Amino acid sequence: MTSLLSIRDLTVRFETPRGLLVAVRDVNLEIPHGTSMGIVGESGSGKTVMSRAAMGLLSGSNVRREGAIFFGEKELTAMSREEVRNEFGTGMAMIFQDPMTALNPVRRIGSQLAESLRVRLGLDKKAARLRSIELLSSVKIPDPESQLEKFPFQLSGGMRQRVMIAIAISCNPKLLFADEPTTALDVTVQSQILQLLSELRRDLDMSMVLVTHDLGVVAGNTDYVAVMYAGEIVEQATTVDLFANMKMPYTEALLNSIPKINSQSGARLRVIEGRLPDPTQRPSGCGFAARCSYVQAKCTAEHPPLVDAGNGHLYRCWFPLGNTIARKQ
Amino acid sequence: MFKRFQQADWFTRVSVIWLFIVGLCAVFGRALPLWNPLESDFESLGVGLGSPNHFLGTDSNGYDLLSNVVVGAQTSALISLVSVGVGGLIGATFGVVAAYRRGRFDYVVNTVFNIFLSVPNLVLGLTLVAVLATSSDPSVPVSVNRRTFVIIVSLTVVIIPILGRIARGATLVWVNRDFVVAARSMGMRDKDIIMKHIVPNVLPAIYAVGFLAFGVVIVAEGALSLLGVGVIDGVSWGSMIARVAGDYEFAPHSLYVPAVVLAITVISCNQVGEYLRSRLDLREGKI
Repeated sequence: MTSLLSIRDLTVRFETPRGLLVAVRDVNLEIPHGTSMGIVGESGSGKTVMSRAAMGLLSGSNVRREGAIFFGEKELTAMSREEVRNEFGTGMAMIFQDPMTALNPVRRIGSQLAESLRVRLGLDKKAARLRSIELLSSVKIPDPESQLEKFPFQLSGGMRQRVMIAIAISCNPKLLFADEPTTALDVTVQSQILQLLSELRRDLDMSMVLVTHDLGVVAGNTDYVAVMYAGEIVEQATTVDLFANMKMPYTEALLNSIPKINSQSGARLRVIEGRLPDPTQRPSGCGFAARCSYVQAKCTAEHPPLVDAGNGHLYRCWFPLGNTIARKQ
Repeated sequence: MFKRFQQADWFTRVSVIWLFIVGLCAVFGRALPLWNPLESDFESLGVGLGSPNHFLGTDSNGYDLLSNVVVGAQTSALISLVSVGVGGLIGATFGVVAAYRRGRFDYVVNTVFNIFLSVPNLVLGLTLVAVLATSSDPSVPVSVNRRTFVIIVSLTVVIIPILGRIARGATLVWVNRDFVVAARSMGMRDKDIIMKHIVPNVLPAIYAVGFLAFGVVIVAEGALSLLGVGVIDGVSWGSMIARVAGDYEFAPHSLYVPAVVLAITVISCNQVGEYLRSRLDLREGKI
């Protein structure tokens, strides 16, 4: 099976005044052609940094990126800046988390849409305009022609996110990174956007990496799921398998913290107690040990490796769920 | 444009009208039927305001103050427009590129800006004029055109770090915004990102501070004249002040007239700059 994107031993460090901060550690991911992969984790777990590092969008003199990233046959990490730039837009594109800040406030929608069409695809002004109208209608924006003249602040959040998606798919990318595309939107708009993304993915034959903190978003929209915690992948499986046989207590805790519609009104929301470990000073054992309700002595002493349960279900836990013999309650 | 003008407060409106008049004087001043600004009227030396032949009077050498003020506007406008324009362009280019690229280039540019900013404007201008505007043969006077050119160059050097720092600071605000990263993720070249995404957002700050810089330059020209290195033999507000500085007790209005005109112009520049800053300083919250 050839992968469209493969990430090998990706480690991202930031040099900070407090020392070296490890944001992403030894991440391996394969994204096959035409599939979608969900990356799930709480805020600060490294999922955004991971996806930006995969595209090579992290800039700054304090960033240290190690590992190899292959896009199809090409090794992005060995290519020059200019060569990587040529892959952007046409090869891979990204949708950003906050549609309020990801559009330039002082430029009209039309010119922002036409920009990449003209630069990357070499369309002339008229062709770019026609294509822009086509793109806006493909993301189901009503009356696309008049929207081209508007400024971002004249559109609602959902509309802006649709414009962002239109820009991202404008050059027919093979791989689309969606970095929390629905976080800034309300729930009804959220499901519309997710449905739109799924449709576009099918119509345009794209692969997608869907980064989110919401397991519910992942459930209906992805083929594979990778759960990240403290910069590491802690569980990875097909979406069906992950929800059927959860191995990692962290995944379970994430799932449990989704509010249930049938829970008693006034009941407290369930949270995962504690916080992520300090990324500059990592505990020697399992990163989740301090917050895990099944923690044992071994968890704080030794760092668990990523183990394959067979059928490609990977997990990083000494005492995985569904294995009651090993666990003393 | 006119609607914008109507929305402004009266102080700003008066300032804009004043600057407009100064601009007209600068362009058409020489064509107006006035006295030759550099010709003495020996019949009326040091006459006061409202004299029949001299509306604003003359100084003690008989130079007509009105024509000097009107024609002098040209010098002030030329010096301030060119030095702020060129200095702003150079400074903003370095500032924006430095902030966009960061790293060593930014470090060097920022350090150079800071070194220039650490020297007071006037001292820097004075030094540059003194170095550049001396002729090798002391008996040959330096021509008015050369003096004007040297003053423009010197004040440009003064302006570069001022506007450069503003441009750098404003760019730093925008350079890590998602829309810049988004443009990169679509494969836009750095040059296009700077021109299309950064510059439109940075320009308002530069406009606003640019107007404040006009004021700084006009004052600097006057001060340099007073110190004896300005456009001494030419027609400018600064040289008017410098000429009468020795004997203003005989004709005090000959000092007040250019000083007041200069002050009103500087205040107008500041007011317009301040107004632009308050109007263009749009935070996300206001959008």
